[in-house]
Amino acid sequence: MSELLEIENLSVRFPVHKKRTAFRDKSYLTAVDSINFNVKAGETLAIVGESGSGKTTAALAIARLTSGLTSGTVRLNGTDILDQDEKGLREMRRKIQVIFQDPYSSLNPRQRAEDIVREPLDNLTNESRAAKDRIVDELFAAVGLRPEQKHLFPHQFSGGQRQRIGIARALSTRPKLIICDEPVSALDVAVQAQILNLLRQLQTEFSLTYLFISHDLGVVQHMCDRVAVMYMGKVVEYSDRMTLFTNPRHPYTKALLSAVPSVSAKRQSKESRILISGDPPDPLNMPLGCRFASRCSKVSTKCHESEPELSRKSDGGRVACHFINV
Amino acid sequence: MEPLLKVENLRIELKTRGGTAPVIDNLSFELNRNQNLSFVGESGCGKSMTALAIMGLLPEGIGRIASGKIIFDGEDLAKASTARLRDIRGNDISMIFQEPMTSLNPVYTVGEQIAEVLRVHQKLSKRAAHKSAIDLLDAVRIPNPQSRVNDYPFQMSGGQRQRVMIAIALACKPKILIADEPTTALDVTVQAEIFELLKDLRAQTGTSIILITHDMGVVAEMAERMIVMYAGRKVEEGPVSSIIERARHPYTRGLIACVPHVTTDLKTDRGALTEVPGIVPSINEFGGNNCLFAARCNDAIDKCFNARPPEVNLENLHEAACWRAEDI
Repeated sequence: MSELLEIENLSVRFPVHKKRTAFRDKSYLTAVDSINFNVKAGETLAIVGESGSGKTTAALAIARLTSGLTSGTVRLNGTDILDQDEKGLREMRRKIQVIFQDPYSSLNPRQRAEDIVREPLDNLTNESRAAKDRIVDELFAAVGLRPEQKHLFPHQFSGGQRQRIGIARALSTRPKLIICDEPVSALDVAVQAQILNLLRQLQTEFSLTYLFISHDLGVVQHMCDRVAVMYMGKVVEYSDRMTLFTNPRHPYTKALLSAVPSVSAKRQSKESRILISGDPPDPLNMPLGCRFASRCSKVSTKCHESEPELSRKSDGGRVACHFINV
Repeated sequence: MEPLLKVENLRIELKTRGGTAPVIDNLSFELNRNQNLSFVGESGCGKSMTALAIMGLLPEGIGRIASGKIIFDGEDLAKASTARLRDIRGNDISMIFQEPMTSLNPVYTVGEQIAEVLRVHQKLSKRAAHKSAIDLLDAVRIPNPQSRVNDYPFQMSGGQRQRVMIAIALACKPKILIADEPTTALDVTVQAEIFELLKDLRAQTGTSIILITHDMGVVAEMAERMIVMYAGRKVEEGPVSSIIERARHPYTRGLIACVPHVTTDLKTDRGALTEVPGIVPSINEFGGNNCLFAARCNDAIDKCFNARPPEVNLENLHEAACWRAEDI
């Protein structure tokens, strides 16, 4: 399979005004700090991490939806997204669509369901009116909504149904890549399963590539093919699904996995919980060495002095830790 | 031994546009000393309403206890006066709310908010209350409590705010602590720390905990007994381990199966998740003489649509309200 999305040294910085300095010099908060990863066509890459780790900012930067200062390259099928002009950007927006977290606030309450789904077609394509109607009908069927529900307003739908409208909207321009930003975390548990199954079914049906952002590791384990773990703006581990969940190597990944409560008594007894005490470092004043050093159980002096690189290991995965050599 | 809290045939009615609807319909359960009891279910199933009823905090003018008893230490809270309830809240029964971001007052320091509870309920002096606030912050493991006691909520992270909420709830050493989805707004690593803290505090103080959640994993790690609620009714109750091993109500089964759990024996191929089709019925359909889950149930028979299933006692203090509980 070929690489659909290649990300090299992507950084996103936000200017911050410091109060105390007399000269009002700008300092920057680096939300995403030169991250690298690839996504193969037809695969799902999950980005996991705590809130504030930069996972949403990274994904929005890929769709050019952030207001921060972005540098690096993001190539979709070989074309760099970050230096597109307005015309090129419209073309690109057709290929990258987003499913948002909150199905309550991401749909315009004054638009009918069919108009919400049609809007990207109006804005980004030159389809004829009849063709648009046909596409909307097909999408309603594909996401499991009834045709007569086309004329309803968002408030007349349940949370799961609204997320289905959001999915239909994202699919309308036949994108290559869909960024799913916590698509099920606002939904009830029983409804989550319905949406997750739908997303996987649509992936094969429309040959989609997903960039899947989630903090729920159970959901990630079910959905992803590959995982990038982010901590304070850096990717600390990047592995395929089997390796990451059976043999996590970075101390942060280990802690993250062990923190998930489990129903299986076998797992409860097998894994002892690794608690990470302390607070993450101040994002405006990052430490010199490893960013996880202040909370890591294996820390040594080297960790405080130099930042570990995300280097390739023998099994193809990549880990940024001084203690992982093979 | 007499249970600490005994709820008998509780019925709570809520006024809606379409008339009154029973949001809690004939609920009975017992809570023993030093026990952790969990309520599980989707939103809109009456988990939080139960908690609010015990606290005497039902929305005024909209919700009321129509019948039933809430017996706490021999006293019926359903009949208690507002003043008496005020006395019990905070002193004997206290609650941690879902959103640590919004349930603290932004214009008072966290120290003042903890001290307020102690001054009102235990009549401590200003200085003594402030000193206790520092001790409580230390007990919930906030580093450097001497200076953090003067912080405002916005100066703290989500996890720390939830710790402050716990400190407030535990200030008067309550007999029952009700935690309503205490970690939904928090990261998993922070969630793990909060639960460790609750476990330790329970071991030290012997407080009974009522934990409301939708996460089966949390229930499995925290609680001894669990109650599964659906559309205002108790559908299953029993020891956590036996319910997880063999749930006897199809709804409970669905709730356990529909969530992708992190497993150790991971396989390369994954099938579709088990779905519970449909959604919770609207509040106007509550209270009918049928099984309210029947429309979403794969095992439903004609009887399920025509008569409300009784709670069937199974072995091992395990009961389920399903016509087919015996053969499932």
